[in-house]
Amino acid sequence: MSQIKKPSSSLLLPIGRRGLLKGGAATAVSSLAMPWVSRANADAPIQIGMVWAKNGPLSGQGQYLAQGGLLALQQRKNMLMGKPAEIIWLDESSPQNSAQNAAKLMGEDKVVGVVGGVISAFALAIAPVAEKMKVPFIAANGAADELTGVDCNKYTFRSQPPVHVHREMFGPYCKALGKKWYLITAAYAYGQDIKKEFTDYAKENGIEIVGADEVPLSATDYSSYILKIRAAKPDVVIGGVVGGGLTAFLKQWEQLGMRGKIPFTEISIGCTDIWGVGPKAADGLFTMTWYYTNKKNSPAEQQMAADYLATYKRPAADKAWMGWIAMKSLLDSIEAAKSTKPAAIVEALEHWSMPRGDINLHYRTFDHQMINRALVVKVKPKITDQWDYFDVLAELPKSPAEVEAVYGTQAQSACKMGPV
Amino acid sequence: MAGLILSQVVIGLVNGMLYVLIAVGLSIIFGMLGIVNFAHGAFIAVGAYLAVTLVQNFGWPAVVLAPVLTGLIGVIVEMTLIRHLYGKEPLLGLILTFALALFFEAALKFTFGGDARPFDPPGFLSGLIVWGPILLTTYRLAVLLVTATVLVAFWAFLRFTRFGRIIRAGSRDAEMVGLLGINLPIVFSGVFGIGCLLAGIAGLLVGPLWSLQPSMGNDAIMPAFVIVTIGGLGSYLGAAVAGLMVGLVGALTIQFAPGWSAASMYVLMMVVLLVRPRGLFGESWERFE
Repeated sequence: MSQIKKPSSSLLLPIGRRGLLKGGAATAVSSLAMPWVSRANADAPIQIGMVWAKNGPLSGQGQYLAQGGLLALQQRKNMLMGKPAEIIWLDESSPQNSAQNAAKLMGEDKVVGVVGGVISAFALAIAPVAEKMKVPFIAANGAADELTGVDCNKYTFRSQPPVHVHREMFGPYCKALGKKWYLITAAYAYGQDIKKEFTDYAKENGIEIVGADEVPLSATDYSSYILKIRAAKPDVVIGGVVGGGLTAFLKQWEQLGMRGKIPFTEISIGCTDIWGVGPKAADGLFTMTWYYTNKKNSPAEQQMAADYLATYKRPAADKAWMGWIAMKSLLDSIEAAKSTKPAAIVEALEHWSMPRGDINLHYRTFDHQMINRALVVKVKPKITDQWDYFDVLAELPKSPAEVEAVYGTQAQSACKMGPV
Repeated sequence: MAGLILSQVVIGLVNGMLYVLIAVGLSIIFGMLGIVNFAHGAFIAVGAYLAVTLVQNFGWPAVVLAPVLTGLIGVIVEMTLIRHLYGKEPLLGLILTFALALFFEAALKFTFGGDARPFDPPGFLSGLIVWGPILLTTYRLAVLLVTATVLVAFWAFLRFTRFGRIIRAGSRDAEMVGLLGINLPIVFSGVFGIGCLLAGIAGLLVGPLWSLQPSMGNDAIMPAFVIVTIGGLGSYLGAAVAGLMVGLVGALTIQFAPGWSAASMYVLMMVVLLVRPRGLFGESWERFE
């Protein structure tokens, strides 16, 4: 006959009544003798993590994204829930390095949330770390569809519109320029998404792709690609070249006499990419998430632009806004949750919103994608201000219903999110 | 199509010449001092930033000072930091020059900001040249001529001057050169300075072509290492031939198989090393055996 064994007492902590009393007394005495220990924990600042490139070709964008994040906390006087708060900013130089530094922030520094991922590949590396460590992560500059699509998770949010949304808004503009397209895109997740999305769009709309090149991220010379484009005689070039690559491409595009001959277009570019090109060579039609002279900027955004100008003595680049809005949404959510517990912050982020014109910016609960419009901008015919390169042609989509629709429905989404 | 391929060949030659310029500087520093200079790319960026600053403040003629100043910075770096590493563990040289690369990038960022800066070719070098089927920008033609002139002049310097002979002899056996009564510390400073001067010329030339930003030299370093390896350690002719090969193979791969463009120079290196493990013109160097 089997017998149910009582758990061995040796497995239990041998604490008796006297031991408990002694322990309690010791704790009371120690807190009297070393009052700073408990006070230090109570007064310890709430720590937020940022992972943005500090070195290398992506550091130009990284610095603006970081400045936007720092500004969001500065606007709150560096306080959260009545306690001091601080940001720890670590570098990222590769997907592996992004994931390692995010893990360090979440594991060792015990940050309550992370904003980062200067390119999609880096953000895609951080997202699984956030899920594993159960710390909210906001990808502020990654547009690859997977982030809130097939690779989504409960702890990852994204404030940048994904590639397919940019495509839906921008495709008709490119189509209006001509029906023979040439694609030149960077050879990594984001560039490959652009290639796929615009190739699909071309097929759906009877557009001929007359050439498509994938360019290594380390490329410095684009003249061989430009010669191919010139020979293919497209009506329009769809770009997906990032950061310093776009700057070098546009400089060489102008030097080879292509500026103004074949329209160059690209989605989701940054001000910094064009500032480096200079007024002589700057050219193109683009989408952008935000622009500092846009008359439709909300009062909060105008305040952010003014604060940024006062702090950094130059206009806020779009990347500064992207770092700011991602960090602001995280800080607002911590404040709303009245807690630094991950589950509470995730829930608050899912309910966060900020008015902007006739829509409310918010993260969708089923894929954590921020709903927002994008701008269509064109390089000014004559540039007279060293910072102001663009005319804003449109904010798309026009109606609030169209804004929701362009991001697709839950049924169309590839995101299958688990619980917290 | 033939015209397009010819144009690609010319672009490959221009890029190849720039790579040669970068690789030769790297090669003489390694050959003479035994230091693998990871900061070579940073000196390219320093040269480019000095060039844009001089142009903005004093006009284009002042731009010739940019490589000279870069070379002087190199001399100071050698006298204060590098020379303490001679004869020590090679790893220390790698660590120090890697730290120097980070330092110069941060210093440029601190001084000029992290953004890319506009830098256009001079007005008189704007425009296109069309020779039959070949299309080339005037600026690239100028880059080709300047680079070829610098490389020939540097070859003549190494071949026909006393200091050049000391460098060549010192690359093979620095100790023996020292025993002959030659002031080696000064020679070493000069060699490091010349290597940095060549990087400064490369920076000045690529500034109007590439994105001018603090990390701009990073992407040039790997092709330079590949060229030194393909050409053969310490071989000037080898560096020149290998640079042109890398430039040509890169341009033609973009034309016919763009997906392989990043890998093409490594494939070329692999093939060359399989056939000639010392590189195309490499010889046996006792000190590195």
